Amino acid sequence: MVKYCSYEVVVMSQGNKIFVDARGIACPGPITELVKAYRNAKNGDLIEVWATDAGFEPDIKAWIQRTGNQLVELRKDPDKIVAVIRVTAKK
Amino acid sequence: MSGIKKRVVIVGGGTGGAVLANRLPKDEFEVTIVDRQPYNYFWPWLLYIAFRGSKKTIKREIRSVLKPWINFIQSEVKVVNLQERYVEINGGRRLSYDYLVVATGATVDYSKIPGLDKTTEMFGNYHSTEENAWKVWHTLNNMKEGTLAIILSPGAYRCPPSPLEGVFLAEEFFRKRGLRDRVKIVFATFYPRPYPAEPVNELIEPLLKERGIDYITFYTLDHIDPEKRIAYSMEGEELKFDAAVVIPPHVGVDIKYVPEDVLDSDRFVLADKFTNRIKGFDDAFVIGDASALPVAKTGVTAHLQAGVVARILQGEDARNTGRTNCPFDVGYGLGTFVISDFYNPAVKYPINRINHLFKVAFAATYWDMIMYPELWDPLFEAYFEATEPAKLRQLYG
Repeated sequence: MVKYCSYEVVVMSQGNKIFVDARGIACPGPITELVKAYRNAKNGDLIEVWATDAGFEPDIKAWIQRTGNQLVELRKDPDKIVAVIRVTAKK
Repeated sequence: MSGIKKRVVIVGGGTGGAVLANRLPKDEFEVTIVDRQPYNYFWPWLLYIAFRGSKKTIKREIRSVLKPWINFIQSEVKVVNLQERYVEINGGRRLSYDYLVVATGATVDYSKIPGLDKTTEMFGNYHSTEENAWKVWHTLNNMKEGTLAIILSPGAYRCPPSPLEGVFLAEEFFRKRGLRDRVKIVFATFYPRPYPAEPVNELIEPLLKERGIDYITFYTLDHIDPEKRIAYSMEGEELKFDAAVVIPPHVGVDIKYVPEDVLDSDRFVLADKFTNRIKGFDDAFVIGDASALPVAKTGVTAHLQAGVVARILQGEDARNTGRTNCPFDVGYGLGTFVISDFYNPAVKYPINRINHLFKVAFAATYWDMIMYPELWDPLFEAYFEATEPAKLRQLYG
């Protein structure tokens, strides 16, 4: 049986929450996937990103600081980094 | 063997499709390539049309780069039906297959960024057509002062180093014309740093500073006003320019797939990163720029994936390593390569002249390498082995 282990990139909309699974993607892939979701998001939407690349943590902090969106949560689970962002800075 | 040849249909006669077709043994496979137009393009050369005014031919007839026993059909592909195993072409004609390989490449979609179609008409770009690349060349030649902005749109795009290669070549252009003190060059990217992969950025960012090139990071392009000459980010940040060359959003080509859920929201085809099998199918593959895989959209990726798929079709348990080998021209005859794989991040590979010469030599051999994999493979294999990312990391970090 073939394992489709590359479906790390799954973006699914659940109301105003967008879930981005960027696990297993090397830096800067998680930022690319976040920006793809952000492109289609509206102010007030939540974007939850899962990533495994260690570079994601400093990058997401810098992204928040630079764009002025809101970081609701940033936590390190044993198997992944989870960032929840509220989109607030879009003009 | 039963003596009956397996039918392989390949959609697309670009690098990936042609390399794959030429590798399949003729006594085992009946191979058909379908492409809507008759040419195989060497797309990396758009850069040298745009920034050097190069008149080198960048296309050859697909037929001329295929082994004589391969069938070539010039036709649109209307439907790829993975469930019923056929490809529908012009006139409702259906090609049935035992194996399908999607190698359609990527295309660009200006509609995702309001104002981009007009901006491209005015200033050109180097990620779509020869005509648009020539427009960039005219833009540079007409510019005597002001700000040239090179802006990377959010999302996937072809050839990771290419946006910055354009930036470096533009800088060289204006310096050689004696206009460098009057033309400001700004690079805007949605990434956290000028080059996304950090080890490579450690080489590139100092070079940008040294050459007096400005850059803006985390700049997510939203829309662009070519009349007022302002580009706006999603946060409303304004970037003023006199000329703007934008790397446009890339998407998959417009073909109907059954089932539809093998496509992502940008119409790229979902696949397994090790075998290139299309999500949910054992007998269908996608290689090169057409896939949704988070790997570099480059000729070398298409080439290596084609090799893996060719081996799988012949019964081997082949796997991609994720190897990249992207030449990176930084101007003035200097270059580096972006070398990485699934297990090793990009290497800080030194900038020098020999790397640039490798890029030029590769360009000269492009069609020969497609046509005669049996001659070029041993050379490439030796090169890839000598430059394995794990080995290079020990040398360069």
